Amino acid sequence: MELLANLALGLETAVTPTNLLFCFAGVFLGTFVGVIPGVGPLAAISMLFPLTFYLDPTAALIMLAGIYYGTTYGGSTASILLNIPGATSSAVTCLDGHPMAKQGRAGVALFMTTIASFAGGSFGIIVLSLFSPLIAEYALTFGPAEYFSLMVLGLVAASTIANAAPSKGLAMVVLGMLVATVGTDSQSGVGRFTFGSMSLLEGFGISAMAMGLFGIGEILSSVGAKRIAKVDKSSAKLLNMLPTKDDWRRSWLPGLRGSSIGAFIGALPGTGPSIAVFMAYAVEKRTSKTPERFGNGAIEGLVAPETANNAADQTAFIPTLTLGIPGSATMALMLGALMIHGIQPGPTLIVDQPSLFWGLVMSFWIGNLLLLVLNLPLIGLWVRLLLIPYHFLYPAILVFLCIGAYSVRANPADVLVVLGFGFVGYAMRLADLPAAPLLLGFVLGPLVEAQFRRAMVLARGDFTAILERPIAGTVLVLSAIVLIWTLVSAVLRRRRGPNPTEEPSSDT
Amino acid sequence: MKTIFVAAVAATLTATGAFAQEDFPTGPVTIIVPYGTGGSTDSTARPLAIELERIWEQPVVIVNRPGAGSMIGTTEMTQADPDGHTLLINTAAISTAPAIQTDLQYDPEEDVTPISLLVTSPYILVGGANVESDDLSGFIEEAQDRPMFMGTAGPGSSSHFMSELVIEATDLPADIVHFSGGGEAYTNMMGGHSDTYISTTASVMPYVNDGRVKALSVLAPERFDLLPEIPSSGEAGVSGVDINGWVALFGPGGMDEELAQQINADFDEAMASDRMQDLLAENYALAGDLSPAEFREIYLRDIGIWQDLATSRGIGQ
Repeated sequence: MELLANLALGLETAVTPTNLLFCFAGVFLGTFVGVIPGVGPLAAISMLFPLTFYLDPTAALIMLAGIYYGTTYGGSTASILLNIPGATSSAVTCLDGHPMAKQGRAGVALFMTTIASFAGGSFGIIVLSLFSPLIAEYALTFGPAEYFSLMVLGLVAASTIANAAPSKGLAMVVLGMLVATVGTDSQSGVGRFTFGSMSLLEGFGISAMAMGLFGIGEILSSVGAKRIAKVDKSSAKLLNMLPTKDDWRRSWLPGLRGSSIGAFIGALPGTGPSIAVFMAYAVEKRTSKTPERFGNGAIEGLVAPETANNAADQTAFIPTLTLGIPGSATMALMLGALMIHGIQPGPTLIVDQPSLFWGLVMSFWIGNLLLLVLNLPLIGLWVRLLLIPYHFLYPAILVFLCIGAYSVRANPADVLVVLGFGFVGYAMRLADLPAAPLLLGFVLGPLVEAQFRRAMVLARGDFTAILERPIAGTVLVLSAIVLIWTLVSAVLRRRRGPNPTEEPSSDT
Repeated sequence: MKTIFVAAVAATLTATGAFAQEDFPTGPVTIIVPYGTGGSTDSTARPLAIELERIWEQPVVIVNRPGAGSMIGTTEMTQADPDGHTLLINTAAISTAPAIQTDLQYDPEEDVTPISLLVTSPYILVGGANVESDDLSGFIEEAQDRPMFMGTAGPGSSSHFMSELVIEATDLPADIVHFSGGGEAYTNMMGGHSDTYISTTASVMPYVNDGRVKALSVLAPERFDLLPEIPSSGEAGVSGVDINGWVALFGPGGMDEELAQQINADFDEAMASDRMQDLLAENYALAGDLSPAEFREIYLRDIGIWQDLATSRGIGQ
């Protein structure tokens, strides 16, 4: 019953008119900034962070959190409609969300995204409020060896997410890992492939790269192309936005799995939402009886990553608040907001500042609810974005992409990175190579490398010591099984003869 | 006696300097923070900017230029005019970078004017879940049987240099493990994956106060006034590790001495405000009280120490 009392206390804090206002302001700003192609949560929060300097800590955090998941949500909208992700995590949303939009189901996709975001967020909040201290303690048992094994599993799963031959997926993952070696070496501090450029010491910016690969690539390949999205005024009508019974039936289980994966991965301080999203997608594709529908507008491929993303966004607060250790750059900003006000997050935060902690938890939920209320009516408006002719839309998007890339690190070189990877993305489209595995390789590559080298130092060079650790050993064996299974099933499929690439799908 | 004299001279110079440079600032002042928004340096600079706006009656703009271990922002500052309208607030990273970054795009001696030591505090060696001893001498003994893993916030970070310094000064059987930032170094220490971490009071004390890590030693000859319960490395008979962490103010090279004096005095005034005093108290840190010339000596001395250490321990090679 203590929990109920706590939640009541939280509600009391969260629904004060001021806090409600800041929550709404955050969510509102977040949604609109997030829809702008190329502006992700990190850029939005960095830009709006100084504002919160003048607020009281609870209101400041509530507003920042609102911006955070508002932007994430808005980013999904841009991904689905335009195939231009604002953040790494929404790159996965593009995979099936955009094909749905092309089939004239943009409204349905947005509707399901809103519901999935709310469901995933709520799941994350439940985990956050019930198990925070427990999870925080458990996360500490994850050392370099455990993270390394988890990343390996992620990489193996990654090769299958794209709608292409596993060999192509694997090749792109490796390419992504190679691109990620540019920058400062994590263990010696020596610059690799930097050619004396100080900007390259930091490596390529992940957001800049995602914007280039997906955003510019999309624009380049659409120039001169005839509009393929089936959209007219009627698709913005409520009736055409409602998912069918079949959509619901297909969605609830992936949603649950996505939430669980997201909540788990998000709570680990060394991973972050983008990995959760890739994992959730890979799991759905693996467990699906019709994996060939993925990439062609499968609703499961939209719901799973969306729920995972939002659940992870919420549980990412667990290490930040209970350990005082941020899992991502965005969380580091949240931590900064607390510290500026003299609040030191840690295991005692829940005890010392119960109204702040529970107020925050409840405001997260209210924020998610506000997102739902705000966005359901807006879907019609967003869908109409597609009615804007390309020759007006694309120049505007290009400008926003450049602004977005620059604003993340205030480094002009990032704008060049966007353009460079834009051409790479376009070339990859021509060669029919999938971009998502490349991005995942890029995210996971440096982590795998750094964690492996740390694990080896801690094991004093004895690899078997890593295998002997219960979690690390189990996950590594699991990865090996998945890898072998992938190879075997590929061989079997080839013997059976080529599969029909497209099944008559029941959701169109 | 000598210090009083120096202080008196500094005070006189400051007074005349303020008189001579009555017209500074003539417009908005930009303070470059070579780290991201919300980090510890940013959190010192922003309230300071509020106080300075009051003193100068001119806008004070904080510009975050993170990257390359603070060198992107620092390089940008060195390229500005030395008229006091572009300043830099940086940590000791500005003194360690020349030791490891071979392709620095400025001369650390000529292109930088050290203006003021704003915040200073000693480094503290903390131990994690697996460390049994409670002080430095016990820790050195423990390491003879079980070689330690010293976690750092990354190669070339101050935690890395300080760990190497401790290894060199005590012949400690230990390996360095580099993590990505202080946060990871702390979680790995709490989880018992690594053993130690070295950072300034502001960074370690929250975790020490929670009881999740223990303070083994203040790396100084004497105990630190604000934390008298933590034993010093001097008590353990260890010398050569007494370098302090700091946050300091810099201008572009070739800045007029009187102008530097005046800015130094204005920042002293800002640091004396309630807002900054509260911040210092929360961080167990002290405000620096050095003239630009005195601080220049420390800045150059530290650069020398780190360069020697990098050579002897093979850092960054």
